[in-house]
Amino acid sequence: MEDYPEELRTPPVSLVCLTGCPELHHPISAFLHSEQPPINTLALPDFSKASVLARKKNRDPLSQPTPAPPSGILKRDWLLKHRTRVPAVVAALFRADQISGDPAQWLQACTDLENLKSLIHGRSTRLVVVLVQTQAAEELSEDVMAALRKRAEIDSKHLVEFVQNDASDLRQSLNKLASLFAELCLTYYKEEGRRIRSIIEKKSSPFPELNIRYCFKIAIYAEFRRDWSEALKFYEEAYRVLREMANTSTRLPPIQRLVEIKTIAEQIHFKISTLLLHGGKIMEAVARFLKHIKTYKRLVGLPEVDFLHWEWFSRQFLVFAELLETTAASAPSSQSPQFGTSESPFSEWEFQPAYYYQLAANYLREKRCCLEQSSVSKTDLPTKITEAPDSVMPSTHIGQSARLVEEGDIVTVLPLSDAEYVAYALAEAERFQDCYEIIALYKRAQESFSSHGSQRMACLCTLGMAREYYASDDFTNSKQLFDTVAAMYRREGWAPLLWEVLGYLRDCAKRLGLTNEYTAYSLEMAALPVFSTGFEETIDFGPAGPATLSRREEIQREALNFAVETDGDPEPVGLDVDPVSPLRSVLLVAVAFHEQSVKPDSVASLTVSLLSHLPLLFKVDLLEVEFNQPACNFSMSIPLEVSPNKWLRLTHEVKSGQSGKLECLTVKAKINNNLIICCRAESPALMEDLTSWKYENQRETYPTLDPALSLSGQKSIQVDEPNPLVDLTLNSIGPALVGEVFQIPVLVVSTGHVIHGGELKINLVDARGGGMLMSPRETDESDAHHVELLSISGLPEEKEDDLNTDLSEETKSDNIRKIQYSFGVVSVPVLKEGESWCCNLEIRWHRPKLVMVYVSLGYNPGDVDQRVNVHRSLQIEGKVPFFTNHRFMMPFRREPLLISNIRSLISPLEEKKVSLALKENNIVIVSAKNCTDVPLNLVSMKIVPEGGTNSNEKLFLVQEISGISNKCTRFVPGEEFRGVFSITPLVAKSSLSLGVVCVEWTRDSKNQDQPETVTTKHSLPQVCVEEPPLVAAIECPPFAIVGDPFSLYIKVKNNTNLLQEIKYSLGDSQNFVFCGAHVHTASILPGKELVLSYKFVPFSAGVQQLPRITITSVRYSAQLTPSIAAGTIFVYPAEPKFSLEKNGSELVV
Amino acid sequence: MIVCVAVVGHQNNPLYLQSFTGSDDALKLHHIVHCSLDVIDERVNNPKRSASTLNETFLGLLYPTENYKVYGYLTNTKVKFIMVTTDLDVKDADVRSFFRKFHAAYVDAVCNPFHVPGKKITSNSFSERVGTIVRSFGPSMTL
Repeated sequence: MEDYPEELRTPPVSLVCLTGCPELHHPISAFLHSEQPPINTLALPDFSKASVLARKKNRDPLSQPTPAPPSGILKRDWLLKHRTRVPAVVAALFRADQISGDPAQWLQACTDLENLKSLIHGRSTRLVVVLVQTQAAEELSEDVMAALRKRAEIDSKHLVEFVQNDASDLRQSLNKLASLFAELCLTYYKEEGRRIRSIIEKKSSPFPELNIRYCFKIAIYAEFRRDWSEALKFYEEAYRVLREMANTSTRLPPIQRLVEIKTIAEQIHFKISTLLLHGGKIMEAVARFLKHIKTYKRLVGLPEVDFLHWEWFSRQFLVFAELLETTAASAPSSQSPQFGTSESPFSEWEFQPAYYYQLAANYLREKRCCLEQSSVSKTDLPTKITEAPDSVMPSTHIGQSARLVEEGDIVTVLPLSDAEYVAYALAEAERFQDCYEIIALYKRAQESFSSHGSQRMACLCTLGMAREYYASDDFTNSKQLFDTVAAMYRREGWAPLLWEVLGYLRDCAKRLGLTNEYTAYSLEMAALPVFSTGFEETIDFGPAGPATLSRREEIQREALNFAVETDGDPEPVGLDVDPVSPLRSVLLVAVAFHEQSVKPDSVASLTVSLLSHLPLLFKVDLLEVEFNQPACNFSMSIPLEVSPNKWLRLTHEVKSGQSGKLECLTVKAKINNNLIICCRAESPALMEDLTSWKYENQRETYPTLDPALSLSGQKSIQVDEPNPLVDLTLNSIGPALVGEVFQIPVLVVSTGHVIHGGELKINLVDARGGGMLMSPRETDESDAHHVELLSISGLPEEKEDDLNTDLSEETKSDNIRKIQYSFGVVSVPVLKEGESWCCNLEIRWHRPKLVMVYVSLGYNPGDVDQRVNVHRSLQIEGKVPFFTNHRFMMPFRREPLLISNIRSLISPLEEKKVSLALKENNIVIVSAKNCTDVPLNLVSMKIVPEGGTNSNEKLFLVQEISGISNKCTRFVPGEEFRGVFSITPLVAKSSLSLGVVCVEWTRDSKNQDQPETVTTKHSLPQVCVEEPPLVAAIECPPFAIVGDPFSLYIKVKNNTNLLQEIKYSLGDSQNFVFCGAHVHTASILPGKELVLSYKFVPFSAGVQQLPRITITSVRYSAQLTPSIAAGTIFVYPAEPKFSLEKNGSELVV
Repeated sequence: MIVCVAVVGHQNNPLYLQSFTGSDDALKLHHIVHCSLDVIDERVNNPKRSASTLNETFLGLLYPTENYKVYGYLTNTKVKFIMVTTDLDVKDADVRSFFRKFHAAYVDAVCNPFHVPGKKITSNSFSERVGTIVRSFGPSMTL
C-alpha cells in the first residue's frame, strides 16, 4: 500500500488558490486546513505568479469534437494536478487602500484582475475578490465596490470584505471566507462532475478507455465533494468497463495492454475497498475483494510474463490485508454470530489480515517460481533475446512504460515493443530478492494468527518461512523454525507432516555439520509410523523422500553407519533419551524390579526391557545399566538383537548392601561402536505412551512377561535397614497434671548392637491431629505453648552441674542437645552390648491436652556407615488438677443498696458485672475440687492482687476468714475444699480487678522426698465497686424461744448527702406476733442511721420465717428485700441446754 | 468432487485421512485438514453460539481456500470429521447428508470389537464404504 502515490491513498481535498496580500496567506491557509472538511490552499504571493494556473496548450480531448484514440486510460498526473494545481476557487486579495487610493494602484489592480480572468477562462473555476481592511472604519464607498465587481465580473456575494483589526473580527471574516470557499468548491466539483457525466450520457464513446477515464473522474470529483456513494458507484462502473475491455482492446501490444489494465484495476479496486471499509461495510468489502480475485485470477497473460501476473496478484492480497489491518476496529464478530453457515457464507479467517498475508506470501512464491522458469527459458532461447533497453521509465499514462531516447539534445519518448518490455520486466524482477519479502509476509501472518490463537495456521506460516530460509541456504534460521513446527506436529501425531519437516531438519543438520542432530533426526524419521499406502511414493516430501518403509530402512542404515563413513572422527555419537524426547520411539527402556523392597545383602531381580520402532533389526554391542548406588552397576557385553516393535526383556540380579532407595538411572546402549544411546530408565507403571505410536492400531505388548508387573513395576526398590538389636522403653506414671513438671523415663538397653553415634529424638504431637501444640495466634510467646518439652534430665553431664544447663550445652558442643518446645534431640553415649542408659523427659502442660510422645533412637551398629532407627511412642493426657469456682456474698442480714443492680434489672441485656459495696465486707467463697484420679496435698490458697501484694495503692483489703488449717490438707479425688475470704474495697471503681486465687498443691506421693509445689491459678472476675446510698441491716438474735419475746432492729444508714425518704413494711405471719408499724414512711438525714425497732413473740417452734420485711427507697424507687435465709430464725420450744464446757462463748448472745 | 476426508481424534491427532486426488496435493491436503482444526477449536470453544445450535454437530464451512472448501462436523464423542471439496458452490444440505452417512460408517467401524477406541482406523471395509459415500457425493451435485 505504501507504494501507491499519496494522492491515491488519501481522500482528495478541495483546493483554493490565494493570490495577493501574502502576509495573510498563512493564517487563512491554516484556518481552512483546520476546517471540517479541510480545504487545501495554493498560495501565490503576488499576481505575477498566477501563471501556474494557466492551462497547457493541448486541449483536453474531452472537449474535442473529433475523437482521437486515446493513448492510455488514465493520465499519471491527473489526480495530482487536481489536488495541487487546479483550484476550485481563485481568491484575489486586495488591500482597501490599493483600491481607494492612488489611481495608478487602481489601474494595477484592474490589470491583475484581467490577467486572472484570462487565466481561468474556459474553466468553471470561481473568482472571489477579497477586500482586506485593516480597520473597520475604512469603509469603501458603494460605487468603488460596484466598479470592482464590474471589473471582476462577479456577483456581489463573491466580493468579500476581510476585516482584521481585532481577533473576533478576524475570526468572523475567516469563517465567512471559509463557508464561501466551501460552498464554491462544492459547486465547482459538482459542475465538473456533471460536465463529464453529460459527455457520457450524450454519446457512448467508441473508446472504452475514455469511458473508464470519465467514470474515474466523476468518482474523484464526487470524492472531492465527500459524496461517497456516488464515488463508489462510478468506481464500480469504471471497474466493470475495464473488465469488459480486457478482452477487446487492441491499442497496445498484448503484454503491456494487460499490465495497464491490471494496474488500473488495482487502483480502482483499491479505491472501492477503501471506501467500503471506511464506510464500515467489511462484509461487502470482503465479498468485493473475493470477486476481484476470482475475476482476475485466470487473466495470467502470456507465459513468459506470468511472473508479473503473480506479483500483481500477490500485491492484491497484501494491499487488502493492510487495508483490513488499518480498519481493524470494525471487526465483524458482532455482525454474524456464526460463520460458515448458509446465512453467513464467510469464515472467521476471511476477516483477518493474516489470512491475506499468508496468501500474498503464497502467490509471491508462485511468482518467484514462474520467474525462475522465465529466466531459464530466456537463456534457452538465444535467438529471441532482446537486450533490456537502458532508459525505460513510466510513461504519462498509468500502467504504461516508455523508452527515452536521447539523440544529441533532443530527448524523445518512444513506446516499447512487447519483447523489449519483457526483457525489461525480467531484468527488473531479477534485481529483487523475493525470499525476504515472502518471509516478511509469512512472519506478519504468523504473528497475527498466533495472536488470535490459531496455532496450527501460525505453524503453517512458520513452515513457509522455514522453507524460504531453506531455499535461500540460511540453514540456521531454517532449522530453528523447522524445530518449532516439528514440535507441533509431534504433539498431535501428524506423522506425514512430521516426516516432511524432519526431512528438512535432517538436511539442515547435515549441511550445518551437526552430527548428533543429524543422527537424532534420522533415527526419529526411521522410527516414525508412516507406511506405504500407495500414494506416498509420489508425494513430494522435499528432502525427506517418500514416506515409505523402504525409505525408513534406508535412513536407519544411513544413520547407524554414519560415523563409520566419517572415519576421521573416531568418537561415537552420543544421544540422550529422556522421558520427553521424541527419540523414545527409537529406543525405549523400561526397568522393573520384581519386588518392592529387599533385605540388605540379599538378591533383588529386575527386568530391563528394550523396545525399538526402528524398521530394521539392530545389534546392541554393549548394554550398561547404572544405578544411584554405583556398586550395583552392571553391563552386558553379549550382542543383543533388538527386533522392530518387539520388547527385548533381560532379567538380572543385583545385590545392595546399603539401605535406602536403589534406583536404576540410565541404560546405555552402544550400537555399532559408533552410536551410544543413553536412555533414562522408566518405570513400566509410570511410563507414558509414545506420542507418535500411541494412536497406531497395534497389538498391545508389555515390557515384562508378567502383565501385572508391567502395570505396577517400578525402576526403584527399597533396601531395608538391618533389624535393630536395642530395647527402647518409655514409661509413664499415669496422667499428667497441668502445671506440674511431668517426667517420663526413657530407657535404652543394647541387646546385641554396639550403639555408636546414638541420637535420641523426641517429638511431641497433638494426639487429636493438627500437629500444632501451640495456639495459632500467639506462636511467638513461650507461654502460648500448650505443652512444652522443658528439658531432659538424668543425663550424665547434667548430674554434675544441674543448675547451669545452658553452659553445659555451650561447652559440650559435640554432644548434640537441642530442645525446643515440642522437639528435642539428645545424644546417647556409646553403649556396648548389655549396657543401658536412661534419661527423663520433663514435660509441662499449660492446658489440658492429649499428646503423643514419639521417641526415636538412631544409631550406627558397629562400623558400617548405616543408621538403624528404633521408634516408640506413648500417649499421655494432661489433666486439670482442680476445678475451681468462686461466689460473692454479702455479710449475713446486711443489704447495701447497689444502683448498678437496679440498672441491670431494668436492662438485663447489658454485660452483667458483680457489684461490690464500698467499704463493706464482701464475702468471696472459693471452692476447689480435686478432679484427678490421685490424691493431692493442698498447701495454701490465697488471693493475690494483680501486680503483686506490695502494690503502692491498696485498692481493697483481703482477709482470709477460713482456709487451710494445718500445713497440708490431703484431699482425695472428688473432694472439694472451700476457702472464705472477705474483701473490703477502698475505692469506688467501675472496673476493679480482684487478682487471682493461687492454689498451691503437691502430688501426694510417699516415695518422693520433697515433692515439688505447683501453683494453679484461678483468676477472679472484674467487679464494679460502688458506694451504696443506703445500707440496711437486720439485727436479730440467733435463735428464739416459743413465747419468749425478742427484739428485732432494722437499721438503715444513709451514706449520701441528701435527705432520703424510705417506706417500709412488714407482712403478717401466723407464727409471730409483733408490735411496731406495719407500713410506714420515714426520712433519714444525711449520714445518719434510722433504727426501726420491733418486738416479736414466736408461737411455734422450728425453723420459722419472719414476717416479710420490705424497705423501699423513694428516691431510687428501689426495694431492699432481705433474702429468705436472712428472714429465717430457729425457734426452740424451750430454752436450750448447751454444753458449757465446749462452746461456752457461743452461748452468750 | 470431494478430495479429502479425515477423522481427527481428541488430541487433534489424525485417526483416518484419505485423499481422493492426485498425489500433488496430498501433503497440501494434510496441511489444510490440520489448519482447519484451528477453526473447529474456535467454533467449539466460542460461547456465543445460540441455544439452538448447541446440539448441532455440523460445524459448517470452516475456511475456504481458493481451490477448496473445507467443512467440519463434530460428533457427540468429540471426534471431528473434516471434508475438503473442490466444488465451490456446495449446498449445506448436501454436506450435512454426506456427514450423516460418514458418521454412520464411522460408528460401524468403531463398533468393531477389535477396534481399540482412540486408535487409528485401519479397517478396509470402512475405507471402501467411505469411498462409496465420497463417489456418491459428486453426481448428486451435478443433478
